[in-house]
Amino acid sequence: MSAAEDPAAVARDERTSGGESRLMLFVLPAVVVLVFIGWVIWRQTANLDSIEERQLAWVVIGRLSWEHIQLTLVSTFFVLIVAIPLGVALTRPRFKKAAPVAIGIANAGQAAPSIGLIVLLAIWLSFGFWTAILSLTLYAILPVLRNTIVGLEGVDPTLVEAGRGVGMSAAAVLLRIELPLAVPVIMSGVRTALVLLVGTATLATFINAGGLGSLIITGINLFRYPIVVSGALLVALLALLIDWAGRVLEMYARPKGI
Amino acid sequence: MWDFIVERREDIAYNAFQHVNLVVQAVLLAFVVAVLLAILVTRVPALQSLANSVSAMGLTIPSLALLGLLLPLFGIGPSTAFPAVAFYATLPILRNAVVGLQGVDATLLESARGMGMSPVRSMMRVQLPLAWPVILAGVRVSTQMSMGIAAIAAIVLGPGLGGYIYTGLSQIGGANALNQALLGTIGVVILALALDALLLLLGRLTTSKGIRV
Amino acid sequence: MSTTTTPSGADIELIDVVKRYPGQKNPAVDSLSLHIPAGEIVMFVGPSGCGKTTSLKMINRLIEPTSGTIKIDGEDVRGKDVDNLRRNVGYVIQGGSLFPHMSVAQNIGLVPGLLKWGKSRTSDRVDELLELVGLDPARYRDRYPRELSGGQQQRVGVARGLAADPPVILMDEPFGAVDPITRQRLQDELLSIQDELHKTIVCVTHDIDEAVKLGDRILILEEGAQVAQYDTPEAVLVTPANPFVEDFVGAGSTLKQLSLSRVSDVELAETTTARSGESVPEVLDRARARNDTSVVVLDSRNRPCEWLWLRELQGHGTVPEFNAEEFVTLDRRATLNDALDTMLSSSHGAAVVTGRRDEYVGVVNFNAVTDFIQATEEQHAATAAADAANGESA
Repeated sequence: MSAAEDPAAVARDERTSGGESRLMLFVLPAVVVLVFIGWVIWRQTANLDSIEERQLAWVVIGRLSWEHIQLTLVSTFFVLIVAIPLGVALTRPRFKKAAPVAIGIANAGQAAPSIGLIVLLAIWLSFGFWTAILSLTLYAILPVLRNTIVGLEGVDPTLVEAGRGVGMSAAAVLLRIELPLAVPVIMSGVRTALVLLVGTATLATFINAGGLGSLIITGINLFRYPIVVSGALLVALLALLIDWAGRVLEMYARPKGI
Repeated sequence: MWDFIVERREDIAYNAFQHVNLVVQAVLLAFVVAVLLAILVTRVPALQSLANSVSAMGLTIPSLALLGLLLPLFGIGPSTAFPAVAFYATLPILRNAVVGLQGVDATLLESARGMGMSPVRSMMRVQLPLAWPVILAGVRVSTQMSMGIAAIAAIVLGPGLGGYIYTGLSQIGGANALNQALLGTIGVVILALALDALLLLLGRLTTSKGIRV
Repeated sequence: MSTTTTPSGADIELIDVVKRYPGQKNPAVDSLSLHIPAGEIVMFVGPSGCGKTTSLKMINRLIEPTSGTIKIDGEDVRGKDVDNLRRNVGYVIQGGSLFPHMSVAQNIGLVPGLLKWGKSRTSDRVDELLELVGLDPARYRDRYPRELSGGQQQRVGVARGLAADPPVILMDEPFGAVDPITRQRLQDELLSIQDELHKTIVCVTHDIDEAVKLGDRILILEEGAQVAQYDTPEAVLVTPANPFVEDFVGAGSTLKQLSLSRVSDVELAETTTARSGESVPEVLDRARARNDTSVVVLDSRNRPCEWLWLRELQGHGTVPEFNAEEFVTLDRRATLNDALDTMLSSSHGAAVVTGRRDEYVGVVNFNAVTDFIQATEEQHAATAAADAANGESA
């Protein structure tokens, strides 16, 4: 389980207070950049032994960060292409009755610890990148699925009827009215998923799928605190940065007029 | 699998107890801290967006990263696991407590004051009871989250069932690897659901009949 | 409206239409048969739950009838592709139901877009319709619904219904969500639009006054969409078919007669007019020559935009500019009932009357209305006496 599970994600999106948004949009990236610069200065001036030098080499840091970003973005992509269509299907009249069941299953699945899910899948399938992607995807479907359903159900039914009434097909109403109007709520779910994924991706290193988590684990195993703390710091900064990117995306994706 | 469990029943019972113990203690501490912070935040509106930002940022930091950051300070073992779990446990409760306390109808508070209740009494008799269902929902989220984080915290030799998962991982290819990992994972799921059921029951018993849905 | 021009609307025929919802004992609509002539406005009224909205929505198949036939222009609606059918039937809903994420132009251009009109044709059409509903295209085209007042949203809703120039327009409580003054204006505008376009309009309302004012015919429904009366407003008011209609139409039927007469039936008064930018001394001279104490200011499109006392003009060099959309006027199609309401809220004790496209026509005052009522009553009395005399002699 990552720390990113966000209870109020659904209810919050419209209410996010102006103060919080502003702090998060402008202050947060500044803090991230400052801390990163601080770490770079430390990295350049600190007295490191040869193991630490090797683990914290710039090439290594770059490769691990890139792996981490790949893990996050690829799994986010799969989450989107699974959860949004599923959410759409579960709000269509034909499958509407199945929605509470699906949400219930997803909720119960969320009670499983993420580390357990990753390890079990690795034992069952194999170690490596794609197993990590599979478990990350499974893990982050819930927030997007839930917000897609909530967002679509929140669209004023008279608008849907108005769309049908002026002669739009069911598909056109979905694409041009329901989904655009649900975008703010869906995007809030997507951001929750992003944060969840960037956090859970730190565990990918346990099954040899790389990512910045490996610095932390290597550091713990070798008892080298500079490596542990560097890894932890870099992961935290990356997570904050991705959360920030999610917020910016959320702002731009919001249709004008709402 | 069954033999595997029976062989280790005492060991499992002990670890399960340790797991729950860690989570319950962390959530209790988190609850006290979060509610006090929330009361402060609702009193001083300027703090509100700060509190929201801090809790959003806190939830963003990966748990493994926080464990890594705390490790040099507290060392290997429960001494690192506990503050990490408690930190995350605080955030959902804080957020819900702020929302819940602010959601209380201002006219009700005014009428409480009009009746001559002191601010403390009005908080205890009116505001907290009305916000209670929302706060409790935060406690449930927080507990579920803590169960998972406690499992991860076994990497720094924190107490509980997470150890089985890591053992399974390290013995991959061995006869009991799958059993170990399954035991750890399913054990956490069962404990989490059980704790959640208890909290639901607690909610029913402690929520005023007038506002129960 | 009785019109001399050929209607562009199509006639609608409902034959034995039944709608039964599963799990309900009585059908919502029980064997409704109805002919709606082309180019007329027919108002569906009745208590809530009488099936009037269900009946309306069956025409564009938002609700599918359980049995029976509905024909538009002689063609069975069930024989057509449902989306195509709806693109050729305008649909206007309470509050406008504008899509909040689309601009005014996108909302209105939606159906032309679905019908694959070209870009420039659509945008010309949007501007034309905005003019028609009294909104300045340059100003409102790119606004979003939330930047409009309720009345403006409703106007855009009407424009959207008219967009593809459909022969038939269905309206579901179109003016239910706006304040009384705005509602009256919107009704007047609808009547003047209909004067130009001659569509077949079917409109659901729960307001009998609105039905009397707008309708060429009124359909009064009882529960299960049973026809209580289907006739002209005059007939419904003067000779209610049964106690239900009498009850529904309500007391004060003589007062309701005020809803049957239009401002255009009354003799309008002249007054001095002025244009923004004109020199004030000249205007004052003109007004004094006519013994007027006030002037009506017109904008460049001849729309009245303010009514000023002479003393309000003094001190100005030229006549200032005003916004015509914020000025309350009375359409010549408005009922005398509306006229009285408007006059009562005006400091002049009278109201400025507008005609086609909101252009200035004249002024109506209390005297004109009371004179007219007196004349009508004397006429009624005379007819009644004559009828009575005829009855005795027969």
